[in-house]
Amino acid sequence: MKTADPTDPLMAEHSVPATFTPGDPLLTCEKLVIGYNDKPMLPPIDMVIRRGQFVAVVGRNGSGKSTWFKTLLGMQPPVSGEIRSNSPEMRSAYVPQTSAIDSLMPLRARELAGWGRLRGWSFLWPFPRKADRDAVERALETAGAKAIASRPYRELSEGQKQRTLLARLIATEADLVLLDEPTAAMDAVAERETMQRLCSLAHNRGMGVVVVVHDLEVAAEHADILFFVDRETSAFVMGDAQHVFCHPAFRRQYGDEYCHRAPKGPHRGNDAR
Amino acid sequence: MLAEPSKWQEFLAGFELFRDPLLCALIAGGVLGFLSVYVVLRRMVFVSAAVAQSAGLGVALAFFAGIHLGFHVEPVLGATAMALAATLLLMTEPTKLKLTRESLLGLAYALAGGAAILVGDRIAQEAHDIQGILFGTAVLVTPEQLHTVAIAGGLVMVIHLWWYRGITFASFDRIGAHVQGLPVRLLDGVLMVSIGVMVGVCARALGALPVFAFSTLSAIAALMLELRLPATFFVATLAGAISGVGGYLFAYFYDFPVGGSQTVLAGVLVAVAMAVRSLMRLVQRVA
Repeated sequence: MKTADPTDPLMAEHSVPATFTPGDPLLTCEKLVIGYNDKPMLPPIDMVIRRGQFVAVVGRNGSGKSTWFKTLLGMQPPVSGEIRSNSPEMRSAYVPQTSAIDSLMPLRARELAGWGRLRGWSFLWPFPRKADRDAVERALETAGAKAIASRPYRELSEGQKQRTLLARLIATEADLVLLDEPTAAMDAVAERETMQRLCSLAHNRGMGVVVVVHDLEVAAEHADILFFVDRETSAFVMGDAQHVFCHPAFRRQYGDEYCHRAPKGPHRGNDAR
Repeated sequence: MLAEPSKWQEFLAGFELFRDPLLCALIAGGVLGFLSVYVVLRRMVFVSAAVAQSAGLGVALAFFAGIHLGFHVEPVLGATAMALAATLLLMTEPTKLKLTRESLLGLAYALAGGAAILVGDRIAQEAHDIQGILFGTAVLVTPEQLHTVAIAGGLVMVIHLWWYRGITFASFDRIGAHVQGLPVRLLDGVLMVSIGVMVGVCARALGALPVFAFSTLSAIAALMLELRLPATFFVATLAGAISGVGGYLFAYFYDFPVGGSQTVLAGVLVAVAMAVRSLMRLVQRVA
């Protein structure tokens, strides 16, 4: 397997402390019921996302994970319950899939990363301030995207596009970041590197990182906590990989294979069902 | 055979007559060219067509109200009102109406076009104006029309240049902008109202066909050149302005209809941009 690029600053930062413990709560869901047109999709969810925590959301297509994600983003109102930010100054950011940026868009990587500095009504100042420009340059450097900063986004490889979006994410200086399938369309090496970078952002910079991901092994390898969403069995299971993979609702969808291969240890979890 | 292009002296002598239509074409082409970048990149080309068509219906209805219902409505007001109404209709989430976006566009376009013909049929004495509004025969532009286009264009450009960073972010990454706390609905509304107002006032002055051409082909030409986003906006503005003024001059010197000339010139600029891009790529390959 290809090893991480030693010149990549974010990868160099990547080291998961064995004693890593998540920090203060960032976002709390209290009896959150998600769904459309007042029709619940899942039972009420109680959960907390903490600073420095890397959360992977898994589930099959149509399982309700996108609805949960949209609700968390504020794009979809909850049926009932509450999503509470634990600090009024908390900054959130969202990173779309690399393919979500239209291929027609004549954006350079630097311009795209620059959007990370916009927040609220800051666009009323028509030109980026020096502090913002400097922050974007630092973010590009940290994400290993400095060399491609002047290139058109559409001409970049999937891995380079992902680095650009990561630079944008770093430029936001957000407390909580949400990523929708950031590794879709990537090869295995790029996927692993991306997950390592995100892991590093959570553990070394104290960001709360929530990622929707399809590759269960990659999720189990990197995430501190997994959320398994399953509309069919009305299950919302959260915990470590072993707890989630050995849960009956999970085994019903994916079989026993993952449970047997999950890292062993004390089960830690908390389910809503 | 083409007319002799020896009318320069005649043109300069009568410039006062041509000044207003030229200025109007310059402003309308430039501002619509700027907005065309959003229209094309947000895949709203047919929104522009439907809004322009609705503006035509608005003019026809204004004439109809004056002739048959006895109350005076400024045609430009009718055009703007109908263009805005169409814009607002097309902004609604089509799934709420159990329709696809394309169906809604098709409905708005066909209904507005058909209704304009029907209303036009009942106002025979203004039939020339209806033809003008639909296909663009704007040889003459009244000072009121010029003032309206200039004021609307000026306001649109000031807001769009001032809010450029917010409108582009909200337009091209809606969810990201929403999560970062930008007022996405307001920014989207500003963009859509800008398109509605500009299409409305310009369709009255120049005709729906050239307005549609300025608000789509200008960006297509600019995007061909693969420039940075701000440069793309600049080139699209320039392409729109050149199409407006150049089309008018071409029509004058060669005795062609103005709207058709402006539309064809906008198309020619796309072909020129295509050629320039091919040349640039060739040079890059050789270098």
